[in-house]
Amino acid sequence: MTALLILFFTAIIVLFTGLTKRRHFLQPIALVGSLLALAGIVFAPSYGWKDVYASMFHFDNFALAFSGVVVLATALIIGLSGWGFRDLSDTLGDNYGLILFSLCGALVMSSFTNMVMLFLGIEILSIPLYVLAGSRRESLSGNEAALKYFLMGAFTTGILLFGMALIYGASGSFDLRAIAAAVSDGRHSAGMLNAGMVILIIGLGFKVSAVPFHFWAPDVYQGSPNLVTAFMATVVKTAGFAAFYRLFSMAFPGAESFWHLPVAIVAALTMTVANLTAIFQTDFKRMMAYSSISHAGYLMMAILAIGVTGGDRALLFYALTYSLATICAFGAYMVVAEQNENGSFATFNGLSKKQPLLAAVMAIAMLSLAGIPPTAGFFGKYFLFTAAFAKYPWLVVLAVVNSAISIYYYFKIIIAMYFSRDEVKFDHDVVFPASIRWAVLVGLGLIALLTVIPGSVYALI
Amino acid sequence: MSLILILIPLIVSLFVLLTRPAGVRAIALGTALANLAVSIFATVGFNSDGSQNHTFSIPWLPQAGISFSLGMDGVSLLMVLLTNLLAPLIVLSSHSRAFDNEPRYYGLVLMMLGALNGVFLAQDGLLFYIFYELALIPIYFICAIWGGQDRIRITLKFFIYTFVGSLFMLVALLYVYLQTNVEGHHSFAWDALVRTQLSPEAANWVLIGFFLAFAVKMPVFPFHTWQPDTYVTSPTGGTMLLSGIMLKMGVYGVIRWMVPLAPEAMHFWTPIFISLAVVGIVYASIIAVKQSDLKRLIAYSSIAHVGLIAAGVLAWNKAGVQGSLLQMLNHGINVVGLFFVVDLIERRIGTRTLADMGGIAKSAPKFAALFMLVMLGAVAVPLTNGFPGEFLLLNGVWSYNVWLGGVAGLTIIFGAVYMLRAYGLAMFGEANRETTQFQDVNANEWVVLGVVAGLVVVLGFFPQLVLNLTDGSVNKILGAVQF
Repeated sequence: MTALLILFFTAIIVLFTGLTKRRHFLQPIALVGSLLALAGIVFAPSYGWKDVYASMFHFDNFALAFSGVVVLATALIIGLSGWGFRDLSDTLGDNYGLILFSLCGALVMSSFTNMVMLFLGIEILSIPLYVLAGSRRESLSGNEAALKYFLMGAFTTGILLFGMALIYGASGSFDLRAIAAAVSDGRHSAGMLNAGMVILIIGLGFKVSAVPFHFWAPDVYQGSPNLVTAFMATVVKTAGFAAFYRLFSMAFPGAESFWHLPVAIVAALTMTVANLTAIFQTDFKRMMAYSSISHAGYLMMAILAIGVTGGDRALLFYALTYSLATICAFGAYMVVAEQNENGSFATFNGLSKKQPLLAAVMAIAMLSLAGIPPTAGFFGKYFLFTAAFAKYPWLVVLAVVNSAISIYYYFKIIIAMYFSRDEVKFDHDVVFPASIRWAVLVGLGLIALLTVIPGSVYALI
Repeated sequence: MSLILILIPLIVSLFVLLTRPAGVRAIALGTALANLAVSIFATVGFNSDGSQNHTFSIPWLPQAGISFSLGMDGVSLLMVLLTNLLAPLIVLSSHSRAFDNEPRYYGLVLMMLGALNGVFLAQDGLLFYIFYELALIPIYFICAIWGGQDRIRITLKFFIYTFVGSLFMLVALLYVYLQTNVEGHHSFAWDALVRTQLSPEAANWVLIGFFLAFAVKMPVFPFHTWQPDTYVTSPTGGTMLLSGIMLKMGVYGVIRWMVPLAPEAMHFWTPIFISLAVVGIVYASIIAVKQSDLKRLIAYSSIAHVGLIAAGVLAWNKAGVQGSLLQMLNHGINVVGLFFVVDLIERRIGTRTLADMGGIAKSAPKFAALFMLVMLGAVAVPLTNGFPGEFLLLNGVWSYNVWLGGVAGLTIIFGAVYMLRAYGLAMFGEANRETTQFQDVNANEWVVLGVVAGLVVVLGFFPQLVLNLTDGSVNKILGAVQF
């Protein structure tokens, strides 16, 4: 709750600072605000802020942990923004403000105990993003991205509301615990409940870009500014899965036998289709889009592990390592894209000779995304696979095969950077801002830390 | 002591990669020698009755039953000795060539050294898996950065092949882990994993998972297709690491993890596995006879030798297992020597094709003598190191099944054919313009080949030195795991 308030007020301050001439204060203010919010989460009192606003929120450990992940990711993205918004100087204040407002939505999505708050959280998260996706107003692909994202988002919102209405009709309440009680003691209409759950799965599937609801993702990821893409791939995805897990673990554990099958099928499809498609990509951002879809497939396994000890920890750890690696990768890509905008893999050729640090960051991020030991990404996969193994061994085997496939496209970047003998032109005079360097190094340091003490997540939930 | 063996090379490796200091050759050699000294020191006063020595254990992820626990019995000690004995030779032999970006090269070699030691020392299932994979990353980079023709495609095939193999091992390991129960929790500790009783059907799957990982790594026929290309395209240092040490990870894994974890299924699968190994021996030997490229010839001979080692282990009797341990050490020494010889010739005359050689013995007599010793070791002539190892191995396979033993015995005949043919074509016969000016070995090369040739002779006379070290452990393992 403290964090939510801090972020909200920071966003307002940022908006007004944007109107003045002191634009160079924007990044520091946004950064300080998000770090303060992070501190508010880390030092949250264990007694307070439970069941606030007539049981609309519940700031339990789960909510705090996922809020921490999204706020941390946003802080790193703001750190990366030293350049990223440079071409948007007239709307700079709006951009930082919108990112922080969107983050408020992410916090709501990880702490709701009522479906109304879930809906509001999703909308608070999404509406600023529709604007951000199109924030390069002259860019054709940016406009395409914004329009696509908006249309799909509005459509999804309708679907979600419909699902919630059906659940309300079946159980007579919006409160998650009341729904759970109604589901488990049989006082509900089964047909309406089942239809509602399927529609909710579809709606949330759109939000987290699960197959077959993923078609918007590649174009939106490619057309949006790099930083917004990084935000979508990390914060939005993490918040989406936090909401997914929270909703199904609090409201529908009694109906497991029904919704497990559709979720398992969606998970299997998501990882397989996304990985197979990613192989054929030639553009870095499209590749990362499909990679992020495939990770949604792995994360779905955590939804299936609801009720298994460690299911929530697996989700948290995976979301954290995935976010860190993705942010590091986008940080390195931004500097490369500054030199050469076309975004194909060839722009990475010979990077290890020109910029050894950036190449190393990118390589470790790719290894971590591929889940290769001993990187933190491996432990993420390990926790997920262990949690899902007891009930879904076939899905784990499929996930293993898929992570083997993913090596092929992640390694394309490493091959271009380290093994290619022709080199891109890289202008040594371009000094990239210290904040980018620091953000990337902090991300890398956290990946290393999670490698050495993967047990640290056990303290959080 | 176990921890030091892993930490020294890893820390120096990070230091070298990050700071790119001058004089990196000396740093790398010094680190490798320091590790050799530590491992020799670990041998002094070693309790070889099969118990764990130099143990080190701290909880890593106590809630999930994962601990960072290291230790060595005789089998581990032998592998650690092999690793740290070959590492200085590999570093020293790399000194003969100039690499661009040497800090990166030597840093990766040292990282590999640390990871390999970790594989042989790990007493925790997940830790073993992590080191097993960690060893793959530096060798992939070494081969792909400094490799020869078509290196990117070949090394990616190598990486995906081995990585997929070990993912199956991970799934098998996870399954066994979820069956363990130590005071209500799951555990990855070796003891806990071994104690688990698996149902016959589950044991089948677990065994197959492990076998795929180790069969790709060794490699056993028909999982060997990555190997010849990778050996040929890699820089010599990389080839030595792969063939000298890395493939031993597979054999070691069979002894330490695969058979003890799923002995229930071994009765059914052993005949199939051994048959594959024996087929591989004959298949690779026949191909080796026809090779014109010396490096490729040795790559195929390596498949044949490892096939015999694998067959010996899988026979799971005293002679077979002891022979395989002895032969792993010998094969490591011999193959490093042979690849060094290839590299030396290639540096002098710019080719590895046997047809372009000839008459080298005349212009480089010292080299010819040293090559002869290494070659005899590889052929397993009595009183060289290869002989007792192959003798024990054939004895082991023979007592498992006479027919398989007989076919496996062909390896000695084939080995003599292709090695003597290669030696004859390279060293004798008509000299050409290049080979008449062939420089004899310099000081650096003399040290590498001299050490290898010395070990060939010493271990040929005193195989008991090695066998005594592992005797207790082998008895203990064979006693505990029967099928």
